[in-house]
Amino acid sequence: MNTRDLVLIALFAAIVVVLGLIPPITLGFIPVPITAQSMGVMLAGCIIGARRAALSFLLFVLLVAIGLPVLSGGRGGLAIFAGPSGGFILGWAVAAYVTGLIAERAIRPGVSEGRQLIGFFLASVVGGILVLYAIGVPWLSFVTGTPLIAAAGGSLAFIPGDLVKAAIAALAARAVYAGYPLLPARA
Amino acid sequence: MLTSLYVEGRTWFHRAPVRAKLIALLALSIALFTTNSLLLLLPAFLLCGGLYFSLGLTLRQAFARVGFVFFTILVLAVVNLFLVPVPEVLALVLRLMALVLFAAAVTATTTIGAFMDEVTVLLGPIERLGLVRAADVSLALGLVLRFVPDIFARYQAIREAHRARGVPIRPLTIIGPLIILTLKDADTIAAAIDARGFRRQ
Repeated sequence: MNTRDLVLIALFAAIVVVLGLIPPITLGFIPVPITAQSMGVMLAGCIIGARRAALSFLLFVLLVAIGLPVLSGGRGGLAIFAGPSGGFILGWAVAAYVTGLIAERAIRPGVSEGRQLIGFFLASVVGGILVLYAIGVPWLSFVTGTPLIAAAGGSLAFIPGDLVKAAIAALAARAVYAGYPLLPARA
Repeated sequence: MLTSLYVEGRTWFHRAPVRAKLIALLALSIALFTTNSLLLLLPAFLLCGGLYFSLGLTLRQAFARVGFVFFTILVLAVVNLFLVPVPEVLALVLRLMALVLFAAAVTATTTIGAFMDEVTVLLGPIERLGLVRAADVSLALGLVLRFVPDIFARYQAIREAHRARGVPIRPLTIIGPLIILTLKDADTIAAAIDARGFRRQ
């Protein structure tokens, strides 16, 4: 890993912190507030690629663990990991890695803009939603004793919002790819 | 902007070594997950609560730090009431809350520096395998802390630019430029780090 990769990893973690400071925005047509921070996993994978995205989120999780209030709403500290959603926080790095793997394979120079958008969207959905929930939901079920089926059913309520986030992440990732491509570069 | 969740204080828990506190947290979580007995979980909850509230936080601060996690625990407990026998729900709530309170107590009494020393020790074996360098982790951490205020200022500048042109403020139109402008700095910063020989490559 060269110094540039190290800096990209740190800067992306810093961007995720800043996304947590942006007040949530409610879209007119859907009652879920869009917090920009939870898009971070999708954005990281799609923009800086699997390895750097995963390391960026490991760094972010380290910031949470050592007691910096970097999660949206000024939350942080070890209590977050002890709580029911600890699995989601720990799952971020894996989710970002999978998002990155798919994005790296789907997007090559010369791929049409529409295909890039679809690739980024699928990467965000598979990594940022499927993989993340596959880690977070069983963890939540184990920690809180809520039966797995009920926990999975309850999280369905968040899926529409997550799909909107995946769409926004895909559009943003495509804009960044057009303006400053980093995805295929070294890592 | 990024003030640590550490709270100044001179209690015995402040003076306890970080490693002991982290091992205690790990041991406590293992121990509490092996029991369902309210006779053990209730005292554990009260002790952890007592510890947390004796650290010198004001009541409001103390609740603000654990409030969100407690809220999720209670929501899930309400769901559980329909699916799981009541004594078990009680055990689950007490166990989780005890752990959250203890974890919050560790966070409140440990400085970032002390945590970082411990992280460096934990990274030792991984470093010997040649996977990660502890110095790189500290450097990356420092970079994040250094650049969050700058990136936030950039976010505000982009927002002002939107406002000045009458463009509605949407995440989509802000995130793209924010990320491009920030990541474009990476080369300059990397060059500056290498020029100073921080990483000895």
